[in-house]
Amino acid sequence: MLVSSGLLMSPLVRAQAGTVGQADVIQVKGASPYEITQRAVAELGGMKRFISRGDVVMVKPNIGWNRTPEQAACTHPEVLRAVIELAFAAGARKVVVMDNTCHKAEDCYQRSGIEAMARRAGAEVRFSDENRLVLHDFKGEVLGKWPVYRDHLEVDKFINVPILKHHGSSGLTIAMKNLYGILGGNRGKLHRDMGENIADLANGFRSHLVVIDAWRVLVRNGPVGGRLSDVEERRSVIASPQIMHADVAAAALFGRDARQIEFLQAAHERKMGEIDIAKIALKSLSA
Amino acid sequence: MDRRTGRLLQRSRILSQILFTVIFFFLLVRSGGGDAARLPWAGLFFYFDPLFLWVVLLAGPFLRIFLLALAPLLLTLLLGRFFCGWVCPLGALNQFFTWLGSRRRQRLVPVARKPLRLKYLLLVALLAASLFTVQLLGWLDPFSLLTRSAATVVLPGANALLQQALLAGPEPLYELGRRVLLTVTQRTFLQAAGIGVIFLGLLLLNLHRRRFFCNYLCPLGGLYGLLGRWSLLRLAINPKCRSCNACAGHCTYYGSPFKDYLKSECVVCFNCVVDCPEAAIDLRFGFPGAGRRPALDLGRRRLLGASAVGLAAAALPLVAPARSSRTHAFLRPPGAVSEKKFLEKCIRCGACMQACPTNALQPAVFQAGLEGVWTPVLVPTSGYCEYECHRCTQVCPTRALARLTLEEKKQFKIGTAVIDRSACYTYADGYNCAVCEEHCPVPEKAIRLRDVEVHDFRGRLRKVRQIYVVPDLCIGCGICESVCPRSDIPAIRVGAEEEQREIPSG
Repeated sequence: MLVSSGLLMSPLVRAQAGTVGQADVIQVKGASPYEITQRAVAELGGMKRFISRGDVVMVKPNIGWNRTPEQAACTHPEVLRAVIELAFAAGARKVVVMDNTCHKAEDCYQRSGIEAMARRAGAEVRFSDENRLVLHDFKGEVLGKWPVYRDHLEVDKFINVPILKHHGSSGLTIAMKNLYGILGGNRGKLHRDMGENIADLANGFRSHLVVIDAWRVLVRNGPVGGRLSDVEERRSVIASPQIMHADVAAAALFGRDARQIEFLQAAHERKMGEIDIAKIALKSLSA
Repeated sequence: MDRRTGRLLQRSRILSQILFTVIFFFLLVRSGGGDAARLPWAGLFFYFDPLFLWVVLLAGPFLRIFLLALAPLLLTLLLGRFFCGWVCPLGALNQFFTWLGSRRRQRLVPVARKPLRLKYLLLVALLAASLFTVQLLGWLDPFSLLTRSAATVVLPGANALLQQALLAGPEPLYELGRRVLLTVTQRTFLQAAGIGVIFLGLLLLNLHRRRFFCNYLCPLGGLYGLLGRWSLLRLAINPKCRSCNACAGHCTYYGSPFKDYLKSECVVCFNCVVDCPEAAIDLRFGFPGAGRRPALDLGRRRLLGASAVGLAAAALPLVAPARSSRTHAFLRPPGAVSEKKFLEKCIRCGACMQACPTNALQPAVFQAGLEGVWTPVLVPTSGYCEYECHRCTQVCPTRALARLTLEEKKQFKIGTAVIDRSACYTYADGYNCAVCEEHCPVPEKAIRLRDVEVHDFRGRLRKVRQIYVVPDLCIGCGICESVCPRSDIPAIRVGAEEEQREIPSG
């Protein structure tokens, strides 16, 4: 069922869309995180639009914290499974899953349920390895060269699969902020001009597809949370090849105006996309 | 006893040593990861250690599981120092290094009685000191020594060397090695060099004298030696002996059943039986009263002297300020009992450091006084206390760390975070940061943000989301300190303010 749709499509958006007239951002609400993820990608035109036969694909969830899926600090394993399976079905030769975690990596990989699920779906699960850091130039306004795990640079396609949640300093963490996970080094330093840094990061590194898990949403005390009373079920997934529009739509789903989110404001200033949800071609449906 | 039987027994002994060493390292390595429910097994060898039975008897409350230590004590009355020869993993390592250093033609060295006495005197001195609550048995106990050395040096060291070797090789090999052999992050320890030099030194001393540590230093070996002299099992020479002294060739303590049989030193290794060309050595059970009772003469005066030294030495920590100081600059792991009791119960084994997943627990250097050397301290700049973890409290064999459930541990206050306002970006520089706030694991957030205006270093007024600590909510886990992005000193630090110390029940 079509609930709402964007009024206007900017020239930028139209240029990126695969099919003329197709929605730029898909938001699906439904009864199973796995199914709504599949549906959202299908509505975008299918995974074949983003993945070519023989591609090595990085699927980058948020595995930042030693928390269970119920605590909604990490990407839902079922959303991840759907993305991995779709990538393989579209012809991916290999799917890699990894993150640079905030808590101890093994704990996060295990408790989030992501390691087990990704393995079962046939993906290769890697830990971020300091010996694989290379300097990458983001050519941003504040973010220049920064160490990146080269795993992310050596793949053909990058699918960004964050979870939507509250974040104390940046307001929200969604897809653009999820790219912190490709970085090594003293990432905490980037909190200084966080909004500017997040925008530069997303501008200087391409996500070929963004799939945002909004099945359970941590609405307070993020990004680590822990208390189930801070978690609300939104039973949604948002998918788009346009990272900024995906984040703007997710912010709206969260109940926030993107214009009040620093990093989206900074992204808008960098002409990364529309900040007004009304100007984004958003198709919202229930599965 | 003929040589074939002797060889069979000798090989059984070697097999037994390998087996117990493998079990020991298996339990130790396993306690470093995986299922927390199996962690109490990590203390298995400690429960069979009578020195630690003594520790929990003195410090209380008594832990029944240490009654297991009566088993080797009773068996020693029957079999002599079999424990040293057949069971002890550190003994096995010493034996291995002795074997590495052994030449085909053995030089006959006469038994050196004076150094053999040293371990008894050390034991007596340590026991005497322990009566005055100065409990340092763990410094020399073989299980503490081996666990501590393996956890802080051997295992992380092997990991580091292996990683460097794999990095030099082809990438697929490195990737494979990293997946199956290496730890995800390299562990580091404050005192690795000190503990490592001592451990390596002790191993290398075996090249100078056979089983150096076991013969001259080990207090547990001393205890078994004192009992072993009364044991029923004894070696005896039969009339076939031609006095060739070949039996001394590989004797662990340079003795021989023929000439210098010291029952207290014999670890029942069966080397002499194998070396005897005449099958002249027999193994017999007999009452200690029958015939001569070969043993090392310790000397009443020397024993009294050692006790006096131990007692006198006990005064040193008692008059040191560490014990009575109202303030201290270190953090103890969760579940730690009161400092005085902690020092008495902690056996400096480092099992908690091995179990700590984040590398937060470190062997103290001198933070906790001379007496506290090698006791565990939580060092947030090295790692943080993981909110969802209570592993250290599960492995501590003597319950110097009370066995907290995960829920109890989440509530347990290790200390309190304080902000260094001259260093924190949100105070001193007028910049947003909040990395600590982000990481604070307390669901209600013990670190919070408030919107304020502060002057930056240019004197301009800036709007900042400034951090502040809610002391009552803070559990002192130290993750804030561990993630503070400052490169010089963390601008938020956890101190022992309001630290909770578990009061042992019963």
